[in-house]
Amino acid sequence: MDQLAPPADGRVFEQHGATGAMARLAARNFVLNVLTLSFYRFWGKTRVRRFLWENTTAWGEPLEYTGTGKELFIGFLVVLMVVLLPLIVVMAAIQTAAATFPPAALLGVPVYLLVLFLIGAGLYRAHRYRMSRTVWRGIRGGLEGSAAVYGLTFVLVALASVVTLGWAGPWGEMKLARYRLANTTFGARRFQCDAAAGPVYNRFAVVWLVGFAAFMAMPLVAVMGEDATSLVPLLSAVVIVIVPLAIAIPLAAYRAAVYRQLAAGTRFGGLRFAADVRTWPLIRLVVGNWLITALSLGVLRPVAALRTFRFAAAAITAQGTLDAADLAQGTAARPRTGEGLIAVLDGAGDF
Amino acid sequence: MRDFPATFHDGRTAAAHPVTVRATPAGLRILGEDGLMRAFWTTADLRADGQLPGKGGVRLRCLADPDARLILPDGEFIRTVAPFITATPRERLGGWKAAAAAIAAVGLLAAAALGLPAASRHLARLVPPSLEARWGAALTEGMEQRWGVCQAPAGDAALALLTARLAAPLAPELRPRRVVVVRQAMINALALPGGTVLLFQGLLDDALGPDEVAGVLAHEFTHIAERHVTAATIRGLGLGALVTLVTGDASGALAGGATALLAGAYSRDDEEAADRGAVRLLDAASVSTAGMAAFFRRIGEREARGGALPAWLSTHPDPEARAAAVTRAGPERAVSPALPAEQWAALRAICGKANPGGPGTLRH
Repeated sequence: MDQLAPPADGRVFEQHGATGAMARLAARNFVLNVLTLSFYRFWGKTRVRRFLWENTTAWGEPLEYTGTGKELFIGFLVVLMVVLLPLIVVMAAIQTAAATFPPAALLGVPVYLLVLFLIGAGLYRAHRYRMSRTVWRGIRGGLEGSAAVYGLTFVLVALASVVTLGWAGPWGEMKLARYRLANTTFGARRFQCDAAAGPVYNRFAVVWLVGFAAFMAMPLVAVMGEDATSLVPLLSAVVIVIVPLAIAIPLAAYRAAVYRQLAAGTRFGGLRFAADVRTWPLIRLVVGNWLITALSLGVLRPVAALRTFRFAAAAITAQGTLDAADLAQGTAARPRTGEGLIAVLDGAGDF
Repeated sequence: MRDFPATFHDGRTAAAHPVTVRATPAGLRILGEDGLMRAFWTTADLRADGQLPGKGGVRLRCLADPDARLILPDGEFIRTVAPFITATPRERLGGWKAAAAAIAAVGLLAAAALGLPAASRHLARLVPPSLEARWGAALTEGMEQRWGVCQAPAGDAALALLTARLAAPLAPELRPRRVVVVRQAMINALALPGGTVLLFQGLLDDALGPDEVAGVLAHEFTHIAERHVTAATIRGLGLGALVTLVTGDASGALAGGATALLAGAYSRDDEEAADRGAVRLLDAASVSTAGMAAFFRRIGEREARGGALPAWLSTHPDPEARAAAVTRAGPERAVSPALPAEQWAALRAICGKANPGGPGTLRH
């Protein structure tokens, strides 16, 4: 028997990485990216991840990241050739056809849905790759389930959100997160997740109503601005400062509730989780990360990732016990290459 | 020979086993609390992961048992084990290797960028003409319907005469299939895949003589004979792939901008090739290249005056340079007008009355 209980404050994770060390690593990666026409980025990303993982401890013992730059590079090349080039050919063909026969542009709709599907499936595959390269006490993580099912759900959720003017969003997000978490494994054991979307809907309603009001007010503000010139500075202040703030605060409160709800519904063996995510710290994290990334033209993005890891380590707490001796090594096959799909289709998976 | 306490993860479960490690020159004996040996890690197989964060000690691993881990207190590691051990080789591109990789990457990209035009020209020849014709037909029909085609028996005959005269040196399968005048005021002409050339009414109105029109047609005929449109399409695809390879982002604006910029440079190469081909066709037909040069100069002057830039120029090289390139040095060989005066008048009248709103008619 080897029972692991969280410390008194419940914080099982700690992040030890120093900002200065990460900034130096980011600067080094930037220089090498420039020298190699950005081909170094796969190896640079791997070093950033290794720094993040190895400075994260669980019960005092660090995680390991065992992925390699070569795996990311090969994954990227495969997706470029197998997915992206055929996609460009199809898009070009549709555009050419639409130039003479405009209804042909409708063919772009299924292609757009296909891209959405690929983004969803790519996110899932990226998660699978990262989990399979995460090791703690010699035991590997993993992700079961199907990237295709996840991608399909992703498309359906997006369609439902459009049809319901956003109201299906929280339901869909929870559904996707449940699928992801309930298929995440550590060793031979799965996480369990039964987080429901119901409790976050009141906060979502506030976001929606504020957003709706701002949307309706926009034309009104524009019309008023044309008539009364003395009101123009005041009105621009309203538009530039107050509207984003009015949306950002309820949005952060809603996002915080989503994270809390997700953590509260997650179990692993005898452990139950909680996430102490509050509105203002979340705004500070997101705005700070955005400023760091924007002001450094993206160079310091790894520092932003470090702040996110720190935030998560400080927020996540656990209760209960975990029998480490009962947590056996898993036998699932690991993916051989890394996350090319999502690396090509958008900037996700940056750390 | 020393004994010291350590923590052992056997790689089968996440349990932390308290163990006693006995270091010998041959390797580490890992003994359980019951005194029985749990593992023996030979010195040659030992690898160290370096310092763990938060004074967590040092983690060792063994090549023969890749999932197992041994955590030693710092002091013991430095005194006892460190002298025998290899650091875990990190995947890193250091020093010469990184420089070589960088040079190789840049070289490969440069070769790809330089080789792309030639490769796409060769690939374009492999595209079946029937496919090209279908693609071109879709484009052509759309434009002809939108703008309308000018037709008149005398004008058609003049155009056929001029086409036959200019295209004579080309192999039959490389000749244009159709040459059509469309009712459009822009000073432009287009070579479409599948062998159709569209001559815009604005260009006919603007031209000061049949030799100018002959120059433009010879230029478009070369585009067709060298299958430039198909080659440019293939090149665009390859270029998109190259730019994505460097930027890593298929959706970003950066990639789009870089692609457009490079595509423009390549397209100017095509235009120069078409100008050279046009000179050859004009020479073979005994038509003076002076008309073509005059046409380019007039366009250049208009551009300098800041007037509306004819669409013909957007992806084309500097008109002055083009005029110079097509101008014959020394006395011209015996030439004759591209069309006799009567046929030239018929061609200009192919759309009925000259278009009064055309940009060309404003100036002369």
